Amino acid sequence: MKPGEVRILVLRSAGTNCDAETASAIAELGARAEVVHVNRFIRGRRSLEEFHGMVLPGGFSYGDRIRSGAVLAKLLSHRLRRELQRFVDEGRPILGICNGFQVLVESGLLPFGEVGQVKLALAKNASARFEARWVYLLKCSATPFTGKLPRVSRMPVANAEGRVVFPPGEEQSLLEELEESSQIVLRYCTREGEPARGDYPANPCGSFADIAGLASPEGTILGMMPHPERAFYRYMYPDWTRDSALGMGDGCAIFEGMLEHILKSQG
Amino acid sequence: MKWEVRVAYKRGVQDPEGETTLEALRMLGFKGVKRVSTAKLFVIEGECTREEVERMCRRLLANPVSQDYEIRRLAP
Amino acid sequence: MLALSLEEMRAIQRYYRSLNREPTDVELETFAQTWSEHCVHKTFKGIIIYDGEEIDGLLKSTIARVTRELSPEWCFSVFEDNAGIVDFEGDYAIAFKVETHNHPSAIEPFGGAATGVGGVIRDILGVWGEPIANTDVLCFGELDYPYEKLPRDMKHPRFIFTYVVAGIGSYGNNMGIPTVNGAIFFDEGYVGNPLVYCGTVGIVKKSRYRREAKPGDVLLLVGGRTGRDGIHGVTFASAELEEGAEETFGTAVQIGDPIEEEKIKRAILKVREAELGSAITDLGGGGLSSAVGEQAHRFGCGARVHLERVPLKYAGMKPWEIWISESQERMLLIVPPSKLERVLEIFEEEEVEATAIGELIPERRLEVYYGDERVADLSMEFLFHGLPRVRRAASWSPPELSEPHFEAGNLGEDLHRLLAMPNIASKESVIRTYDHEVKAMTVLKPLQGEACDGPGDAAVLKPLRESWRGIAISNGLNPLYGKIDPYWMAASAIDEAVRNNLAVGGRRIALLDNFCWGNPEKPENLGGLVRAAKACYDIALAYETPFISGKDSLYNESPLGAVTPTLLISALGIVPDVRRAVSMDFKRRGSCIYILGETRPELGGSHYYKLKGYLGRSVPKVEPSRAKRTFAALTRAIDSGLVLACHDLSEGGLGVALAEMCFSGNVGARVELSLVPAPQEMRADFILFSESNSRFLVEVHPEKAQEFEALMQGTSFARIGETLGRELVVTHNGRELLREHIAELKRSWQSGVVL
Repeated sequence: MKPGEVRILVLRSAGTNCDAETASAIAELGARAEVVHVNRFIRGRRSLEEFHGMVLPGGFSYGDRIRSGAVLAKLLSHRLRRELQRFVDEGRPILGICNGFQVLVESGLLPFGEVGQVKLALAKNASARFEARWVYLLKCSATPFTGKLPRVSRMPVANAEGRVVFPPGEEQSLLEELEESSQIVLRYCTREGEPARGDYPANPCGSFADIAGLASPEGTILGMMPHPERAFYRYMYPDWTRDSALGMGDGCAIFEGMLEHILKSQG
Repeated sequence: MKWEVRVAYKRGVQDPEGETTLEALRMLGFKGVKRVSTAKLFVIEGECTREEVERMCRRLLANPVSQDYEIRRLAP
Repeated sequence: MLALSLEEMRAIQRYYRSLNREPTDVELETFAQTWSEHCVHKTFKGIIIYDGEEIDGLLKSTIARVTRELSPEWCFSVFEDNAGIVDFEGDYAIAFKVETHNHPSAIEPFGGAATGVGGVIRDILGVWGEPIANTDVLCFGELDYPYEKLPRDMKHPRFIFTYVVAGIGSYGNNMGIPTVNGAIFFDEGYVGNPLVYCGTVGIVKKSRYRREAKPGDVLLLVGGRTGRDGIHGVTFASAELEEGAEETFGTAVQIGDPIEEEKIKRAILKVREAELGSAITDLGGGGLSSAVGEQAHRFGCGARVHLERVPLKYAGMKPWEIWISESQERMLLIVPPSKLERVLEIFEEEEVEATAIGELIPERRLEVYYGDERVADLSMEFLFHGLPRVRRAASWSPPELSEPHFEAGNLGEDLHRLLAMPNIASKESVIRTYDHEVKAMTVLKPLQGEACDGPGDAAVLKPLRESWRGIAISNGLNPLYGKIDPYWMAASAIDEAVRNNLAVGGRRIALLDNFCWGNPEKPENLGGLVRAAKACYDIALAYETPFISGKDSLYNESPLGAVTPTLLISALGIVPDVRRAVSMDFKRRGSCIYILGETRPELGGSHYYKLKGYLGRSVPKVEPSRAKRTFAALTRAIDSGLVLACHDLSEGGLGVALAEMCFSGNVGARVELSLVPAPQEMRADFILFSESNSRFLVEVHPEKAQEFEALMQGTSFARIGETLGRELVVTHNGRELLREHIAELKRSWQSGVVL
């Protein structure tokens, strides 16, 4: 299979708003990215079978009414349940960015890849505000998406509900379980790569255990609050004028990893 | 039938909007305020039973990890 | 409530007498909307007697005249559409519009500000543009304004500030349009009259720009349903705010739904790409009554509308309410009948309601039906040409002011206090609640520097994936100078907007004007307005920066009096290659620091005087010929890659600009004030804090100093110091005036405004 034959779905709904730049990032790497409205799948006009991978981009799906990502998540997990479970079970990669991460959590795809089994929440940021800022991310385990990512990387977050919450009382046991299976992929850290330890603004959302990104046990589903498509090129960095090297940014690695995984697994 | 569903953070889950409101109220001179918590209220009208409203809560209105819900019948 | 003047009522009376019938309520409302200050700009288009001089149309004899006289070939559409449009690259053009949403924001700040953003985004959609960035400039009363001084029913500046910011963030963030630029200004004159300027930039494809409707074309109402929201918003915007306004105008505040607008945007862009529409406009002030009439007028025909077809939020609305409702998230498309079916399909795909509500007709009449009943039948001729021109008296005399006399104090302490003044202090806590990067086009962000927290002069965007060409967006606003002389306020605002743009590498600059003033029926208010408009003509013409669009919001009055007269100038420049864009933070140690431009004892209206409790009278002036030489030389230096950092000098002058460049770059500096080019002997503190226009600070690598100096020949400039260490040290004739650690300066700067 050639990179040009890889078909990636960028799934949108009402209120999705990062689809264009996300599709553009994928296209820059030579794959085919198609932005399709979820209604096309619900109405049976398109099928998830057509795609080798899927990205749930950022935005405010259905206005984030009720909770961030909740409405789209429930549509997916109730109206497209079988198709989606097959997509997951076949190991086709799914990347959820920001609102897409929220959708993955609310649909149950994260952390255990089980549609309908909600085990986490992404709650209002501890600052009670929308937070738009660049953060440092510590890579804690390698997944198909993060193989090429440096140990400490930079990307921006922009969200109001990015605080990872574990079930009260089960925090430690779930954390250990996820750590054991290398599912905690990205944590907020300092510039030097030290864990943020909950400190604001290094951990901008007040996420439990500094969690910024989580993967499914197999590593083929990744949800992350930071936006790799906004760190795709160096000129997107907030301080690129201090640095003459203008090439690819850290965000590029996430998409590259996804495409390489598809090429490898499709043979 | 008319139902009221109240969705609030579970005990032990931080409620940042409540905390910010508490701070703001104190700043405005309401020194006696000790705690503020926020909740979301849905009023649901139509032909639905309590069991259905329960299912709505579990399926969409509340996140089982971070939120509790309370259902109240308003009318009739 | 109809806000028509006696003379206007009489003209209407004569019209109906000639027809021998009584007006209907729908017709009267149509006049009230179409003839409102908000829709026709009576003051700017009327006759003004200014201290004996007759001005026949202030707009066309000042602001629009600049563009007419310059007539640059790169202006694609000016003063005609909802937004000004200039060429960008190939088929692509850039549309820019800035609006105000002041009165609604005073009453319900969250909803008022959010719908202000939503409204100006629709102005861009209304020129077939794809919105790509927002800019928002806000003016509030000082945040520590005593509660006990507030009149009953008036909201505290802190409350208005908090919720206006939340409203702006909410709409832009939810719609996925980055808020890339802005300013916040605090002054007592805004306590009763907060100002909310909302601007949007969009991409237009010239080959897809359609303005060719003709009789028979269908009027298609798209978007949200119509309710009682905003009934009488236009007449409300043209009336003064009185106590109890909240009750009278409760319905005038609208609720916004950015997700609906996002869907509309997608559908409209599809209609644009398929070239299915023949015209488009937004539904703003006056709702259908303004939009339908104006479109029919524009295409030299009439219109027939069936109000019973308009989808409503709830039953029981009267025809006149439907006709003038200002419910948000609605647009009017005009579509040839043969294309209607395809257009309806597109809207259905995006889950947006679209309803054919009437058509254009060859007769120049506006016919409105509700079922079988004809509820309005008006001659277009009278509706658009029957409005008696207003004649207004204007006069201006300089206020009695004097220069203060005081001794210079501890300049280090003064610098700290200046940095913490709310108008100068960091707005980071606000900026971080706005998504300024969605769309991944923001190349130069509002926060810059080593720790990504320094104050950028202008935002630079890279709108096209396939091109390095960019745009720079900046603004200028100097309300304090207007208290001395509105002429120099306007001149300074243009200079500030232009120099902010140039500082990042922008050029070929187009301007927008936005006047917020008190009641223009008071001659002294209007006199100041005339002076400001005259400066717009003089300075913009000299700078060769045409105005492409503008807006005025008059009648900003409250129980506390008129608003501080305020002119916002927004600037849109071109950056030929965004990789050459320049940020304001010092980049390294051992660089040369240059100041460009002349420093004069111009501290009237400065923040240094304000800090000392004075206004003064020596307001900064503009010398266009001198300034243009500086501007051209700076652009050459940037294009030659000689400029490591560049920052414009504005509030707080040289001292504040230096401190900002230092702590943003985490690099100290040493500067000698006697080297600063000044035409006359000046006190050291005045050199440090004068706000003279047309000045920049530039960082240059020592190896490039010679080349840089050669380029600057023929301009006023000087090398005044170098970057080093972690302290800012300022000397005058070798004597040390201040030595401050940059981390401490930054702390002061970051303490001033907290959301």
